[in-house]
Amino acid sequence: MDNYNQVLSVLILLTSFMLMANKRIKSYIGTFRLQSALIALTAGIMGIRAAMAEGSIDVLVVSIIIIALKVIYIPNLLHKTFSGVEYKVEKDFFLNIPLLILICCGLVVFSYFSVSRVAGGSDGIMNAEVVNSISLVLIGLFFMISRRKAIGQIVGFLVIENGIFITAMFSTNGMPFIVDIGVFIDIITAVLIMGIIVFKINEKFDSIDINKLKNLRG
Amino acid sequence: MGFLLWLIPVISVPVFGIVKNRKVLHAVSLIVSAAMLPIVGFATLDVLNGGVLEYDGLGGMFYLDPLSVIILDIVLIIGFFAAIFSVSYIEEELKHGKIAEGKVNLYYMLMYIFMFTMVLALSVRNMGVMWIAIEATTLASAFLVGFYNDKQAIEATWKYVIICSVGIAIAMLGIIFLHMSSSGSISGSQLLNWTALYGNADKLNGPVLRLAFIFILIGFGTKAGLAPMHTWLPDAHSQAPSPISALLSGVLLNSAMYAIIRTVSIVNRNQGGSLFTGRILIAAGMLSIITAAIFILTQKDYKRLLAYSSIEHMGIIAVAIGLFTPAAVFGALFHMINHSFTKSMLFLSSGSVLQKYGTREISRIKGLLKALPVTGTVFFLGLFAIAGTPPFSVFASEFNILAAIFEGRNYLLGSVLAVLLAVIFAGIASVLFRIFWRTSGESGVHGASGVHGVPEVAGVPGVHGVSDVRGESGVSADLPDAGEGSVKPGEVNIPGAVIIVVLLAVTLVTGFFMPAGLRELLENARQIIIGG
Repeated sequence: MDNYNQVLSVLILLTSFMLMANKRIKSYIGTFRLQSALIALTAGIMGIRAAMAEGSIDVLVVSIIIIALKVIYIPNLLHKTFSGVEYKVEKDFFLNIPLLILICCGLVVFSYFSVSRVAGGSDGIMNAEVVNSISLVLIGLFFMISRRKAIGQIVGFLVIENGIFITAMFSTNGMPFIVDIGVFIDIITAVLIMGIIVFKINEKFDSIDINKLKNLRG
Repeated sequence: MGFLLWLIPVISVPVFGIVKNRKVLHAVSLIVSAAMLPIVGFATLDVLNGGVLEYDGLGGMFYLDPLSVIILDIVLIIGFFAAIFSVSYIEEELKHGKIAEGKVNLYYMLMYIFMFTMVLALSVRNMGVMWIAIEATTLASAFLVGFYNDKQAIEATWKYVIICSVGIAIAMLGIIFLHMSSSGSISGSQLLNWTALYGNADKLNGPVLRLAFIFILIGFGTKAGLAPMHTWLPDAHSQAPSPISALLSGVLLNSAMYAIIRTVSIVNRNQGGSLFTGRILIAAGMLSIITAAIFILTQKDYKRLLAYSSIEHMGIIAVAIGLFTPAAVFGALFHMINHSFTKSMLFLSSGSVLQKYGTREISRIKGLLKALPVTGTVFFLGLFAIAGTPPFSVFASEFNILAAIFEGRNYLLGSVLAVLLAVIFAGIASVLFRIFWRTSGESGVHGASGVHGVPEVAGVPGVHGVSDVRGESGVSADLPDAGEGSVKPGEVNIPGAVIIVVLLAVTLVTGFFMPAGLRELLENARQIIIGG
């Protein structure tokens, strides 16, 4: 059964590379949708196992929430925000794609060496899946700084959240249920608020280019 | 009864949404924030007598001990003061058309959601729920930071939401590792409970716990304004309406620092010493103080100056927690209290200054003591207080911390810290000089006849300062409510002036004298952190 987990975690990591290679805002919203679907699948498999073994449906419920929230609602919301603010397609990143991909590879290697040394020796709970998930968090962070558009930053934030969620799944079979629910409520509110601010930025600065936010210094 | 602390603000939020009458809104706000005070007072007494306050309801979520009750008291007291100050502040902003009529509802709703999230963060046992509440503080205060809705405010909001959300997400990773380190030793409903983690600290997985600490420090450190994750702080604090700046600086930073302290005590107990956490915390703290010192020396905006000073004080607290000796931890907790009161006093008075002059630039403030006699005096003394001048309380706690550092034979650290504090003092003193001395010199020359003084005080700030922000109508609107003499334009916010005088008195008194109850609370809190 562990093989499934490993395959899924590698696939999830691959989607983050795809995300990095996407040029258009539309396509990276799509990639994010794919990534969330894979995460929901992982949680679903774990949930079914937990339900059969212990009879607890917590993880299953969480997986359904992910499908509703991260596969359907948030990508649609981002599409709506995007079509509301964007009138011309601009180049969105300042390093070229091969270089970005290489840096991402470097991040994966980095997290492998740093994370597997921290606790690998003690009782082997830091496994390959956790390394992959932490790489996902780092790639999400890097995605945020590599994109200039506000929506790119929101997607980066969501990828970080995905990475954190999947780290929790793989390392501890999920957080306590109330914590999971609270995290989802926070994420949905955060994305809603960020969406509203994107509209306001567009209204005041006539663009959603973050590099134009330079008034406050010193 | 403790649940009322959660219930009252939650109930008040829909009320703020429904009520249309502005007077009723203000009244409800005052009643709600005042009603919380006796409740938290009784809770404090319970904690003093019983050690902890906990209930079985809601899965035993509610938990107060001396450490959390100290910060909870600060939250609610400053919340009450901010509520009083808000009444006249909002009326003044409405009069000048800086905010729309309908936004008053939004202001109060968000303010009380913000208060609720902070109270929640401080009164839960579960670290995961604490994380949720601290993330929610960002979300609740986002639109308060961007309340004025102009270019700068929007920019500050975007930075605030993005940087803090990412930071807090990193803290979530830390909480996950904390959870992971406890697998095998804690199970069931005890998962992530602070008391369980602390009680079983020696059974936790050490390396994973260390990893957890690093992520949690970066995450909550972002929220607490530790350098180099502080970049959102000066923007957000300077752009927010002043009562909100007071809450952000005096209260929110403490809540984030509280989460760090909770983690530190678990990790140190597990590691059997403070070597690991101490090094990281002292490095982060010193870096914050250095950053703050540089920006304070070159600062042109008085609200940003206060924001950088908050970074400095959070750095001092981090250094003291990093030392982890009994005296240092005691000093850190005392410093949290003193910093909160002094800084919120300064932010509230800066609100009146801003409304009077319509500018945040230090160089445009002239004749402050004449224009705002009470606020000006408090601002003047408050700047001295925050710079660490005796006899104010900030000096007392800074002195405690420095003494603890030297007592621990950390001579290098102590001397560097003392030099940095002196640099910051010089920076703040130069600001004081620019605001107060220069003007009194000028009006001393011109104002001797008494005739020249009138156009000078009323005219100069009017033409240069007020007009380009509020327009000419702002100037004429300013003059009629000038009050007594035409030389003294008078206070803009009378209840606010009373509040800041009360705060000044508090900071002055605690500089000399610590009530026995407070000392006992601080001692108990110190024991919780250090153990034994």
